[in-house]
Amino acid sequence: MSENRKFEAGIGSDFSKDPVRIVFITKKTSAKVRGVLRDQVMSYPHVVLREIIAFELLTIVLVLMALFWDAPLEQLANPLLTPNPAKAPWYFLGLQELLHYFPPIVAGVLIPVLIIIGLVAIPYFDLNVKGEPLWNARRTPRLRIFCGIVLIFLMFFGVYKAWSIFVTTAIIAALAVAGYFVPAGRGSAIEYLRSRSLPWWLMTWFIIMACILTIIGTFFRGPGWSWVWPWR
Amino acid sequence: MDTRNPDETEQPGTAVNPDRRDFLNALAGAAFAVAAVGSIAVTVEYLSPNVLFEPPTNFRIGPPENFALDSVTYLPEQQVYIVREPAGFTVISAICTHLGCITQWSEDINMIACPCHGSRFRKNGSVEHGPAPSPLPHFLIGLTSDGNLTVDKLTIVPPTQVFKA
Amino acid sequence: MSASLQSTLKGFCNNRVWRSIFRRAPARTNRTRSIAIFGNLFLHALPVKVREKSLRVRATYYLGSFSFFLFVVLTLTGIMLMFYYHPAAPKAYNDMKDLRFVVSEGIFLRNLHRLAAQAMVLAVFWHMFHVFYRGGYKPPHEFNWVIGVVLLLLTLFLSYTGYLLPWDQLAFWAITVGTNIISYIPILGKPTRFLLLGGHEIGENALLRFFVLHCVILPLAMIVLIALHFWRIQKDGGLTIRESDERK
Repeated sequence: MSENRKFEAGIGSDFSKDPVRIVFITKKTSAKVRGVLRDQVMSYPHVVLREIIAFELLTIVLVLMALFWDAPLEQLANPLLTPNPAKAPWYFLGLQELLHYFPPIVAGVLIPVLIIIGLVAIPYFDLNVKGEPLWNARRTPRLRIFCGIVLIFLMFFGVYKAWSIFVTTAIIAALAVAGYFVPAGRGSAIEYLRSRSLPWWLMTWFIIMACILTIIGTFFRGPGWSWVWPWR
Repeated sequence: MDTRNPDETEQPGTAVNPDRRDFLNALAGAAFAVAAVGSIAVTVEYLSPNVLFEPPTNFRIGPPENFALDSVTYLPEQQVYIVREPAGFTVISAICTHLGCITQWSEDINMIACPCHGSRFRKNGSVEHGPAPSPLPHFLIGLTSDGNLTVDKLTIVPPTQVFKA
Repeated sequence: MSASLQSTLKGFCNNRVWRSIFRRAPARTNRTRSIAIFGNLFLHALPVKVREKSLRVRATYYLGSFSFFLFVVLTLTGIMLMFYYHPAAPKAYNDMKDLRFVVSEGIFLRNLHRLAAQAMVLAVFWHMFHVFYRGGYKPPHEFNWVIGVVLLLLTLFLSYTGYLLPWDQLAFWAITVGTNIISYIPILGKPTRFLLLGGHEIGENALLRFFVLHCVILPLAMIVLIALHFWRIQKDGGLTIRESDERK
């Protein structure tokens, strides 16, 4: 075997943009490049500059808000006196609202653990990689399973009288099921809902649920966790 | 000539007895596992305080005459209610069984109410409604020889046990 | 005028001292621009080249960047606040009062720290949802998504441990409710709560433990995972660009 056939030499083209480079492509060990390299820009300065601008904008907004909005400080901590109502930080108020409805083992342990497991598991499920619409194939069995699971959830929420969760879940499930009955090629909003995948519906349900519970916990709960109207 | 790329073929080590190598690997792995478990155990031990400066669980609350008949008295230091009824004394925890908030005795509804998540308890500690999973525990109450009532928060008694003073 | 300014700048960038620090000529050619990225400890988290489409505002809203910048702001303001803070009850509360009324710019730093903390929780959540809807979790980005979920939990835990430090009523009862949830975990719940609080109830031990978690352990874990998160973006082939973006 001759040594000189183990690699080939070439010169990169377009040296008006790129620096001239010599390429050695050795046999057997060459890196395979897949995909296309279109519309690329140099990170320096394009990315660096944009990041600096983002950082400056953020700093300006934060400083302005910090000048005019004081962080709250209440009375000295007193283990003998619970304020009424005692509220967690705003991002846990959704959880606290759940604790009002369900037993602590469900709302405080089971639901958060399931959410975390669900989030971690998202990329490892085959079914959502393609983002295939929910009602594309095996329509009728899917509809039966979907409605069955939704009904079990609704019964669970009903037993614990969690009506805010019940109503929201029912509306979102109804929108999802509507895609089954509406024929293709109607208005753009319906078409949009019809083409959503199951993970999309689950995540959207989770986000809307979290937002509603957080808003209720923040603004609509008064002494003894009773319902109050914030404008009264 | 060997056409395989030397970078992608497994390189044999210097010739050794494979049994000996496996044994040493297993030994090293086991030693590492024991060390890891031991480190975690002593770290947990180190982080668990042995001496705590917390309020006493056994305390005196004065003579029975201090508590009026059919009254509910809240002791803020010890976080208990002293309930005196015609049948006798009971001592109920004031800490909500739901998430540990301090409940408040409310005279007008004749109920113990939790401000955090809206649980309500009856005068005997049982749950009226709300998310609380279990009734408020009852503590042991007794009388010392010099006529003072004592409460032992470490001993939980059934709600039917009433102390006649 | 401008010519002389340019030559002054060039002289500033093109001498022995500059070269000894940056080891390259001013970044005017693509070769020196490449070196500017991968020859720099801090910038080499970035790839040398990126797709122009991934730079568009609508592709990311710079949410990941904002989350990271907020973490930087929180680290800096947090270190500044530590100069005037004692993790002891009730001294911690008095320190809060001092920061407000006695220390110059104290209230401003505390406002900034608290505001950035709230904003970071918001930014990290929004970042996650945005990545989900763009399909950024799909292979080969699966593991980076998992790191992201852990970073979200760390962010929440950091914010939560910081919540106790002012030692006011708001802090005390929010932490009481939160740590009592832990005790509902079967078997492990009560021992975990005891370890976390350093006792059966929230007191000085709990304050000190939350302080150490908030100022040392969690930020260190955060820094390691942020580095891993950034590095994996590069190794997994850059930000996700959807097929629908390619057509635009």
